[in-house]
Amino acid sequence: MTRCLGKWDGALRRAALIAGVAAVAAVAPAPARAQDALARLKEQGFCRIAIANEPPFTAVNPDGKVSGAGPDVARAVFKKLGVDDVVASISEYGAMIPGLQARRFDAITAGLFMKPERCRAVAYSEPILCDTEAFAVKKGNPDKLLSYEDVGKNPKARIGVPGGGVEEKLSLAAGVPRDRAIVVPDGQSGIKMLQDGRIDVYTLPVLSISDLLKKANDPSIEMVAPVQGAPISCDGAAFRKQDASLRDAFDKVLAEMKQSGEFAKIVEPYGFSAAAAMQTSREKLCGGPN
Amino acid sequence: MDWDWSFVWEILPALLQGVVITIKATILGTALALVLGLVFALLRRSRRRAVAVPVASLVEFVRGTPLLVQLYFLFYVLPDLGILLPPLGAGVIGFGVHYATYMSEVYRAGIDNVARGQWEAAKACNLTTAQTWRHIILPQAIPPMIPALANYFVAMFKETPLLSAITVLELMNQARSVANFNYRYLEPMTLVGAFFLAISLVSVAGLRMLERRYGRLN
Repeated sequence: MTRCLGKWDGALRRAALIAGVAAVAAVAPAPARAQDALARLKEQGFCRIAIANEPPFTAVNPDGKVSGAGPDVARAVFKKLGVDDVVASISEYGAMIPGLQARRFDAITAGLFMKPERCRAVAYSEPILCDTEAFAVKKGNPDKLLSYEDVGKNPKARIGVPGGGVEEKLSLAAGVPRDRAIVVPDGQSGIKMLQDGRIDVYTLPVLSISDLLKKANDPSIEMVAPVQGAPISCDGAAFRKQDASLRDAFDKVLAEMKQSGEFAKIVEPYGFSAAAAMQTSREKLCGGPN
Repeated sequence: MDWDWSFVWEILPALLQGVVITIKATILGTALALVLGLVFALLRRSRRRAVAVPVASLVEFVRGTPLLVQLYFLFYVLPDLGILLPPLGAGVIGFGVHYATYMSEVYRAGIDNVARGQWEAAKACNLTTAQTWRHIILPQAIPPMIPALANYFVAMFKETPLLSAITVLELMNQARSVANFNYRYLEPMTLVGAFFLAISLVSVAGLRMLERRYGRLN
């Protein structure tokens, strides 16, 4: 009996193994075809972009439609390139570049500011959205926090930062220890944590903080902007390094739109300065060619 | 995909800090769950319906809702009622209460398994209720429960990454934050898995030993 069972067991196991292997083979992605990135997107009919849902940079409307300045610019550029629409995936800032490299998205249009180390990892378009940093604090700024250094020097001040965002890096670089730089999942949670006293200051770009404060409509919080010593940063659409041809095509259309004023018409209603993006360049912000 | 050892050494200290928090949360959560679980089990047996029914509903309510929702509630909603728990405190309470409801079922089964004759014999010997519990029932009920309780301990340990949702800098959150900083997920996530596996195996071995020593009735 045991022998018989053993035999059955073995046969079952083999069958399960074969089924398992077949299942893995079925879901494993087909090897990426060596094909021009733009042609692939045209065929697909849309471009999958990474966003953070941080208005006015990126937003998902209550009806599910993707908006915000970054996706709107991307949608307009891609339409001119023959790609009909953009489809968004919401992601943490730090996860965007690994996600792009892992082919989870085709581009990042999320206000992911250009930094030399990011430029080494991805191919950026020319600048699109520029902003500097702001703080949200309790009314009257009781701890007198005006710069990231102020937060570092105050042993009690806890700062809420977006995970993997520029603000997290600026805070740590200014001497805020890891356990006082609290990674906040999204803007609404950041404001809630500030209201509850879990953090003393919440930092994001100026336009994001002012958008959040407008929505929170809470007289007990106010904005400090710009943060002293914080740089003016600009994002660009980010592509995989091997898709540089797609980036070049994107750049060409973007330059035309900047010339024609179409670009300003998209970003300025959101509060972004088109001039700021046009006065600087990728090469300047990346600290070299990209 | 290339494994980078120098990056591993660079992120190891941060991850070890996360390991410490993870272990701390698990131990505190388990301690709370063990105590609360017993309390729930005993109260649920109470002959007073005014006690038994609310406790039973609480247990069913907590068991029937996701732990993540409970953690969000403790972290984001309680402050509106004027109760501001620190992130780790909220996490330990969330885990402790959630697992206490599961453990209370283990206690219940263990207690029900003690033969009726034992109760009757205790009564015949004129022992008080407290004495009966302490000297007769629990010493017979608890040892067979050790494997099941140990299972919940390991399960809780493996669920601690949920704490990253309420900003506790445990192992998973630390790993995410170093990954976010360096745009590399391979090493941090592999190390997280390795740490969890290593600690699980060690604690399972420890619990087996405990089971061998105390788990059998003489």
